[in-house]
Amino acid sequence: MNPMLMAIYVAFAVAALLTLWRIVIGPSILDRAVASDVLLTEVMCVLGADMAINHHADTLPVLLIIAAVGVFGSIAIARYVARRDKGDG
Amino acid sequence: MNAVLDAVSLLLVLAGALLCLSAAIGLLRFRDVTTRLHAATKPQVLGLLLICVAIALSLRSWPVVAFLTVVVLVQLATAPLAAHMIGRQAYRNGTVDEPSLYVDELAESRETPPGAGG
Repeated sequence: MNPMLMAIYVAFAVAALLTLWRIVIGPSILDRAVASDVLLTEVMCVLGADMAINHHADTLPVLLIIAAVGVFGSIAIARYVARRDKGDG
Repeated sequence: MNAVLDAVSLLLVLAGALLCLSAAIGLLRFRDVTTRLHAATKPQVLGLLLICVAIALSLRSWPVVAFLTVVVLVQLATAPLAAHMIGRQAYRNGTVDEPSLYVDELAESRETPPGAGG
């Protein structure tokens, strides 16, 4: 296999696993919101990388929809999170 | 020519993947919400921009370029919204590491005005 493709796959996989680990260990709900935002961005980047590598345009609308509505999750969490969390949540 | 464009597109995808990786490492290594937010915004803007350029170089068609322009513009418009909301809430929550702040311009506006929600 092309070593550059291998490097791309490994970088995406390790990034997603590290981000998942931050979602698991927290410690506060806002940390998890930031990490899930990053995970969503990584999904967008993986979809885009798939299109660039395999020369197709099938998932372009998915990219647009995620870019448009992905922000609402973080905004909703930040809006309604408890006032005093103190990082033990 | 096409082979060169494909190689450049792969390089850009690799750069985007490395930005995602650096964001993940930053999420794990930094110590509070706002510093993690700093790491998180790298792939959200620059990484996605690089990958969209890579798609445009790889597919080489103008409709795709138009579509990608919209995607990037929407992402550029919405990423600061989420970052602003989360950063503000982190400050009010006390999840910011306050002794490490050099300047605290929000110190006198700590109290939430009534009716401001959050």
